[in-house]
Amino acid sequence: MPDEEVIEEGVLNPLKQEVQDPLLKQLMQESALEPEPQPAEIPLPTDEVDCLVIGTGAGGAPLLARLAMAGLKVVALEAGPWHDPKTDFATDEKAQEFLFWNDERLSAGKDPMAFGKNNSGTGVGGSTLHYTAYTPRAQPDDLHLHRDFGLGVDWPFGYEELEPYYEELEHFLGISGPTPYPWGPKRRRGYPLAPLPLNGAAQLMERACQQLGIQTSPAANAALSARYYQEGVGWREACTNRGFCQAGCSTGAKASMDVTFLPLAVAHGAEIRPNCFVTEIERDEQGRVTGVVYEHNGITQRQRCRHLFICAGAVETPRLLLLNELALSSGHVGRNFMAHVGVQVWGTFPEDIRPYKGIPGGLISEDTHRPPDADFAGGYLLQSIGVMPVTFAGQVVRERKLWGAKLRDYMRNYNHIAGINILGDCLPHEDNFLELAEEKDARGLPKPRLHFTNHENEIRMNRHAEQLMRRIWETAGATDIWVFPRSAHVIGTARMGLSGDDAVVNAEGRAFDVPNLYICDNSLFPSALSVNPALTIMALSLRTADKFLESEQRRDT
Amino acid sequence: MTSPHYPDGTVRGLLATELVSEATRTALQARLDAPLYEPQFLEPATYDLLRAVAACLFPQPDRPEAPIELAPGVDQRLAAGRSDGWRYDSMPPDREAYRLGLGGINQSAQVLFQQEFRALSLAEQATVLQLVQEGKAPGEAWEKVPADRFFEEILAELTELYYAHPLAQEEIGYVGMADAPGWTRLGLNELEPREPEAISPKSVL
Repeated sequence: MPDEEVIEEGVLNPLKQEVQDPLLKQLMQESALEPEPQPAEIPLPTDEVDCLVIGTGAGGAPLLARLAMAGLKVVALEAGPWHDPKTDFATDEKAQEFLFWNDERLSAGKDPMAFGKNNSGTGVGGSTLHYTAYTPRAQPDDLHLHRDFGLGVDWPFGYEELEPYYEELEHFLGISGPTPYPWGPKRRRGYPLAPLPLNGAAQLMERACQQLGIQTSPAANAALSARYYQEGVGWREACTNRGFCQAGCSTGAKASMDVTFLPLAVAHGAEIRPNCFVTEIERDEQGRVTGVVYEHNGITQRQRCRHLFICAGAVETPRLLLLNELALSSGHVGRNFMAHVGVQVWGTFPEDIRPYKGIPGGLISEDTHRPPDADFAGGYLLQSIGVMPVTFAGQVVRERKLWGAKLRDYMRNYNHIAGINILGDCLPHEDNFLELAEEKDARGLPKPRLHFTNHENEIRMNRHAEQLMRRIWETAGATDIWVFPRSAHVIGTARMGLSGDDAVVNAEGRAFDVPNLYICDNSLFPSALSVNPALTIMALSLRTADKFLESEQRRDT
Repeated sequence: MTSPHYPDGTVRGLLATELVSEATRTALQARLDAPLYEPQFLEPATYDLLRAVAACLFPQPDRPEAPIELAPGVDQRLAAGRSDGWRYDSMPPDREAYRLGLGGINQSAQVLFQQEFRALSLAEQATVLQLVQEGKAPGEAWEKVPADRFFEEILAELTELYYAHPLAQEEIGYVGMADAPGWTRLGLNELEPREPEAISPKSVL
């Protein structure tokens, strides 16, 4: 066996970190956590950028473009590589595993959360490289669960703040969806493109829901149902129904950030640096961020900045803050970790379904947004789902515990299997949080440990949804129905709010503790919402950029 | 409903065509052409034990000459120190978990049948693994690694390796890799010519 010194994790540039920031060094010395490290010689770049953005996913990319378009000097640091999807992306789940954040996260609690392919991403474009492209808007009452139910916390602003950004995004990204949209407030503009065609699972759900009196509609998806002109990119071609969105789109039809906001940002002068892993955030004596230290191909680099935007996702963002003892005064960094209730129901049908074809989330219902018979706060949406074989097989063995001939027999039904699932709200709970573990990764940094346990509200919502989805699938003609309990997305670990007593950032996305630090990703959601988060993260990203630009203007006058 | 059977050779036939992209072909062909594998991480005896466990979890009487080899993928991953992005906090790190867990399977075999796992009949092996899955297997190794979680992890990893193999994909009638021209027939019972139809049970008999 190889020597035990061999790195334990899939980290490309294992390096012993040395603390550069004087304030952090002082803090560490005071708490006597580590012996005083010798600062390495890092070249001090003379250039300071206006805005430095960590992460190029749904949180970082839109604001990068917005700030570049305002004429600011902006740089984005991305931990992962820059791919060419047309040549690099295979239609193969194993070969595409490079899209996931595969540094190990420790999953604790009564319902330990799966990470990796379930909810993380790396590479220029972040998790949008493998999101399903499901892009429903939140509804107005999603933002005030506390007002309506006395649970959780409300967002520090109302739907009217997000609405113009939703509209802008739908038209910029080229979202395909139904007009008019059956649920939520009346819209000023419809979707720019017609919905994508329905696959087998979507047809089955549509058929059954019709019999049961549940309204359905083709869903809004950020994949093109027709050729679309993209500012900064040119023409993007229509979706070819590969059904492989969750393992990377090789055609550019899906509106991941690498084919939308990032080229737009670059066209306006933004610089994107791939393979840059940020380890340290440096501050001056007043506590203002002055720059960051990062690893690039094994070399330690520094980039100075006037303003920092951390958009690294709801695990790496709080991890960076905790590692750097930054913006911690509220005590809420890492807390309020929420994950959508995402239970799936699977069944076998006599019809040929071929679940690998077509946009996976073809059909939606939001009739369950506030179910009249609910015994829980909030609500959920229903969707039909396609599935790739390796992902499906992995779920089958974890949940049904099949192996041997029984497993091989069951899996031969793959072409006749269809699923539906929900995406439902989740409340923040005291015992659901992220912390730094004692165990180190190959960089010598503490691994994140995330505690997650479903509480009464999530359990009741799960039960409600499971009963309804079983009824739908029975009506659709399914046999051998089974349930895969699941939580989706990582939310809430650096939340926004009106007061620095119980929130990390203010209503504009700026840290209460640090005047030139902004956070933008799903870590700042005060509540989980009853819809998939990507579109709302992008809306917040554009809004954060606009609020920042307004405040800069105010300062100038 | 009995499970359908699909014809052999579908994926292999498609790999040679323009219907499969170059990146996809490269990934799948490498699995078909995998050379004989020498373990790099596990001791030879432990590696053989892993192979025996894999053979019990994925019996392949239909491929007596050349079963799909699942153990190499695990050994390669452990040697490279790769992770799938998360781990149950109750489990030790993957390398330790595999050593402890495979050792535990042998311990359980000894306690139950006074022989090591590889020497057992298929039925006895299945009994051992069933008890590991249920978290009821005897042996002190299971005090250091939870048996049921270890079983879940090894089964999930072997399963993902199995169904990533072109021959296993032929077995379940999956041809999603042949998507270079895209799909136009998406609805229920709508197949394109390159999607294989199931062989009716009668023609199998």
